[in-house]
Amino acid sequence: MASNPGEGIQGSHSSSSLSRLYSRYATECGLLIAIFAVVVIAILIDPTNAYLEKPWYNATEILRHASILGIFAMGAGIVIISGGIDLSSGSVIAFSGVICCSIILGLCQYAGLVDDTGNPVTANLPVWILVAAISGTLGVAFIVGSFHAWLITVIRLPPFIATLASLVGLRSLGRVLIQDVNRVFTSNANTQIYIRDATYKSLGNEWYIPVIICAVVALALFTLMRSTVTGRHLYAIGGNEDAARLSGISIEKKKWLAYCIGTMTAALAGILYSSYVGGAMPDRDGLGYELNAIAAAVVGGCSLAGGLGTISGIVLGAIFLRVVIDAVAKTVKDNPDEFQGMIVGLLVVLAVTFNELRSQKGDRKKFFPGALGIVNIISLTVLMGIVAVLVTSDGDSSTDDSRDKLFAGCIVAGVTFAVLVARKMFESRPAVGQGPVPVPIPITVNVRDVSSTEDPSTEIGKQEIEGREPGGEDDEGRDS
Amino acid sequence: MFSASRFFSCFVLLFALVILAAGCGKGGDESAAPAKPAEPESAADSTAPSKPAEPESAAASTPPAKPAEPAGAGPKKRIIILTNGTSPFWDAAKIGAQEAAADLKTAEAGLRVVVDTNDFSDKGQIDKLRSYQGMSDVAGVGISITNSGNSSIADELRKLAKQGVKVITIDSDVDRKNDRDSRIAYIGTDNVYGGEELGKAAKGLKPAGGNYATFVGLKGAANAIERIGGFGVGAGDQFKQKENFGDGGDQNTARKNVRDAIDRNADLDTLVGIWSYNAPAIVDIVTQLKRRKDFTIVTFDAEPIAIDHMKNGMIDAMAVQNPHAMGYEGVRMLKALITDDKDALAAMEKRMNRTEEKDLFDTGLKIIIPDEGSPLADTKFGDNTNKLTLSKFTEWLKSKGLQGS
Repeated sequence: MASNPGEGIQGSHSSSSLSRLYSRYATECGLLIAIFAVVVIAILIDPTNAYLEKPWYNATEILRHASILGIFAMGAGIVIISGGIDLSSGSVIAFSGVICCSIILGLCQYAGLVDDTGNPVTANLPVWILVAAISGTLGVAFIVGSFHAWLITVIRLPPFIATLASLVGLRSLGRVLIQDVNRVFTSNANTQIYIRDATYKSLGNEWYIPVIICAVVALALFTLMRSTVTGRHLYAIGGNEDAARLSGISIEKKKWLAYCIGTMTAALAGILYSSYVGGAMPDRDGLGYELNAIAAAVVGGCSLAGGLGTISGIVLGAIFLRVVIDAVAKTVKDNPDEFQGMIVGLLVVLAVTFNELRSQKGDRKKFFPGALGIVNIISLTVLMGIVAVLVTSDGDSSTDDSRDKLFAGCIVAGVTFAVLVARKMFESRPAVGQGPVPVPIPITVNVRDVSSTEDPSTEIGKQEIEGREPGGEDDEGRDS
Repeated sequence: MFSASRFFSCFVLLFALVILAAGCGKGGDESAAPAKPAEPESAADSTAPSKPAEPESAAASTPPAKPAEPAGAGPKKRIIILTNGTSPFWDAAKIGAQEAAADLKTAEAGLRVVVDTNDFSDKGQIDKLRSYQGMSDVAGVGISITNSGNSSIADELRKLAKQGVKVITIDSDVDRKNDRDSRIAYIGTDNVYGGEELGKAAKGLKPAGGNYATFVGLKGAANAIERIGGFGVGAGDQFKQKENFGDGGDQNTARKNVRDAIDRNADLDTLVGIWSYNAPAIVDIVTQLKRRKDFTIVTFDAEPIAIDHMKNGMIDAMAVQNPHAMGYEGVRMLKALITDDKDALAAMEKRMNRTEEKDLFDTGLKIIIPDEGSPLADTKFGDNTNKLTLSKFTEWLKSKGLQGS
């Protein structure tokens, strides 16, 4: 491997340091531009100018949300980089809330902080109770992560199955546990625990606390993944586990580390989440968050095949998702939830597709080959028309705007159809001046490669590890 | 121009332009409205555009204190009704809110009515309340609290109030002991009273008493706690509660809970649905098990499908709130608070004198019984209860343009 994977291939083509920096952090640069673009579009669309009138509040609110998402997305991202998947994040968040609040209730009883009826008083908690609760929760998360690693590396369960079991089981365990905890420490078997302590509630509510925690976690994990041999090993395992094993890397230990980072970051987010909502409600806490974490990681440049991705990309991916969600809430004044899923889903697909395309030699890429292409030209045309119809409204339910909607739908569908058909016709032209198809060069990964502190996190580095030529014709053949 | 990544970028740009072009109209900027500023908003009025706008009954007695802003003068402030989740109950409330917007001519006061839906989670509601704090066009919020015990929701209400936003609760209130100050008033059913009336219905159906299980979405919701407590009081000592199930708003879980309750309690004979969708869940499972004759079924609210079930003899009594009135009166109160309409507020306060605090606006209760053969035909209910047969109730629904309540 070259000392810098980016330089090895592209250094001769771009001499300026700026372009080298861009090629190295292309995903991050793209996300920064995308975040900026979404904010600008939101400012242009929103007639109430929420971003301009309350810039500080909205910025801190986005950062607070993005930080909590970013914390456990980084954990999920490291698992993905190491070639695994962690579906348990949402349930670990719910379970961590239960553990943290249960410890607080128990220690309140131990410290004699009870009211006349013997129920724990959770207002004005001493700091040692909070420290003990947070430490205990992280300890439990370490045990859960170790259990995942054991199931995957020793029992040989696929990561999907092992963490799926936790996804289902931990939430259920939390629901049962919380009732028993309440039965023991309070007078009834409630399904929630509420904490009224102001310090505890400030952890997730004061914007700067999640941001600082996220920054510290990001710095630690960035250093781990970029500047340590362990980090290189995690990339190597994700890129080609067999090759990494043959190179003498201890797969089991590294996966243990990855899954523990995954669950402990989720637990950290769970504590902040519990603090934010004022207690633990395991039946709904963190529901579906595992997919948010995976989405943030993938938007941030992680490949679900493993071996690719950066911590900075994941953090920016989380910020991008939150900015999009917030922008939808700001601009769509009627039931933003109904549009949020659609718009976020589309943007995630677009962002990941863009990343994929950027790494390919695009000129000869065929988007609409054969009958499949024709069907999808029609699908995309109809989809764009429907989106236009759905989002076109004067916001006043008392006026009939069906004509405007139909007009907007037809215009957008027509333009989309024309563009896509033009593309299809362009693709149908015979290729001119294409060179011979180069043969993929097999590259053997050796111990020196994966133990060095080079950066295999870029796409080029990953492609080298997998033994295919970046942007080579084998890519074209497969994709077309 | 036609390289893959450039083509893709253009496609994304096209998508963004679609959103941009379409979204421009969604921000409450009534750019289409200036051409017809004097036209009334309601569908009925729109058929007679030449008729001058006349105040409706509610608005007539309560003219706004501030001069009305002309429609289309600029971005409107919003009145937001934030639900705890989605259900036909909230569809009816939405119709009521929209009717109020038309009747009270909120648009002329520079106000737009929006119904925003939560996902039954505390976090969803907290997120939305925080999001409103970041917006400059939110003037009033009527919220159905998901969990009364959660002080974090009340904290966010206080923050909104600090920004000058008028906050009331609808259908489900905050913890009145600790967080009463976080909202101005509560509009909805007196849930303790409603529970008691349904309990009385159960007692009338089974005078010898029995064993009952209650089914609800969120066990921590104030309306759930109050109704279940009230039911026990109304049913009396002859009735014993065997279990209380929460489904978190998941209708599959709601059905599973009914099956579990029946499986686990051989002596169970009364099934009590606390939230609207619990009624069809109970009936579905009892029908599957072919055990209708073994159970007395009493429920809250009247979803369209629950009305059909009562027609088919599957439900013995329904305690029906008036979500339409909750939506309507919620908008009415918020508009009056925002525009400082003292006359309207005084008119509403006359109906809020049941407690010392004078902050509970009761939208009333109906007990619905089957048309024929109900043992409850002669049962006397409370003064604030309107007992109706099913056919009379469906007539009332039709008159309001509702399918359920």
